[in-house]
Amino acid sequence: MAKYQLVRPVLLSVDEVAARSGLHPDLVRRFAAMSLVDSTTDVIGRLRFTPKAVPALARVQRLRTGLALNYAAIGLVLDLLDRIEVLEAQVRSHRRWT
Amino acid sequence: MADRTPHGDFYGALGVPRTASTDEIQRAYRKLARQYHPDVNSDPGAEERFKEVGAAYQVLSDPDQRRRYDRFGADFRHVPDDVDERAHADGRTRYTSAGRGVGGFEDIEDLFSGLFRGRGGGASIPGADQQAELELTVEEAYRGGHKHLTLRGSGQRDYDVTIPPGVMDGQRIRLAGQGGTGSGNAAAGDLYLIVRVKPHRRYRLSGRDLHIDLPVSPWEAALGATVPVDTPGGEVKVRVAPGASSGRRLRLRGEGMPDPRGKPGDLYAEVRVMVPKRLRKRERELFEELAAVSEFDPRGT
Repeated sequence: MAKYQLVRPVLLSVDEVAARSGLHPDLVRRFAAMSLVDSTTDVIGRLRFTPKAVPALARVQRLRTGLALNYAAIGLVLDLLDRIEVLEAQVRSHRRWT
Repeated sequence: MADRTPHGDFYGALGVPRTASTDEIQRAYRKLARQYHPDVNSDPGAEERFKEVGAAYQVLSDPDQRRRYDRFGADFRHVPDDVDERAHADGRTRYTSAGRGVGGFEDIEDLFSGLFRGRGGGASIPGADQQAELELTVEEAYRGGHKHLTLRGSGQRDYDVTIPPGVMDGQRIRLAGQGGTGSGNAAAGDLYLIVRVKPHRRYRLSGRDLHIDLPVSPWEAALGATVPVDTPGGEVKVRVAPGASSGRRLRLRGEGMPDPRGKPGDLYAEVRVMVPKRLRKRERELFEELAAVSEFDPRGT
């Protein structure tokens, strides 16, 4: 029978994400509410983030300051950038030369 | 790579003529900012270009600053406000020969932090990740080793990259902290090198398996032979069994691309029977004799 190691996933609290990304905790909550950063809630309803939230929040800030986008537009740009990344990876894996 | 414009040439940075209207400047800026934003364009040169475009727009969108820039050139910030036309004309050579670029500006150290301050923020934002392609030959990918890589940007960036043996097309090599610069004291992004294995005249790659053609003479194919084959790892001897027609594939187990985390791929050599383009007299005689004697019919059932 296969054995599986139980690993506790690393999840960060609002305050931890705020500290790591240099944002106010309220702003982190707002970004989570606007779904600009992925989050889950634990059993007692607190927001939890994966470590990927930190670079994701940096991307939100860069798009906001660099292109003067509003948050709705940033959400759209993030979705499109993610889709492009998937498509580009597909193109790469299909590009086989002979 | 981003195309380069000399530092301090704001019209060139935006690609507009000196006579451009405010609308044209705004249009050019918006378009270029979208194109070179480091989160949209992961090219290592994009971030610098983005900052250049932003710096140019900051000056040219302000009628007062634009007028001064038009009059005094790239060093307009170092010209006192109250300098008059005639006095400047006398001092022109001094100002223009100073040759200070955008880097000399005190107030545009970083466009991000600059814009952020304007909005009442003050946070530091980590830099974006960047991507560049790393072209390797099949042999380089096979052997691994060191490769010198030069990226053009603000000043050249040189890297000595260690390539693991058996690196695959599309694989990413991460150089931590070598991506876009963060603003304030935030961390820089990472630079990802995407491996591109260049098409090779003889080797075709399919996953970790290597395919090559194995040209043999008709008698080698008919009688069997041991022939030398060049592989990325060096020459190997391949035994061609008697009666091998074109298309027969010989597998050399483990002679494909190495895998640092498992079994290497295999090398497939496909037999291709070649005939001389021109036969010498004796060769022709022998082939004619063979044709008369042989009952072999490759099209028969």
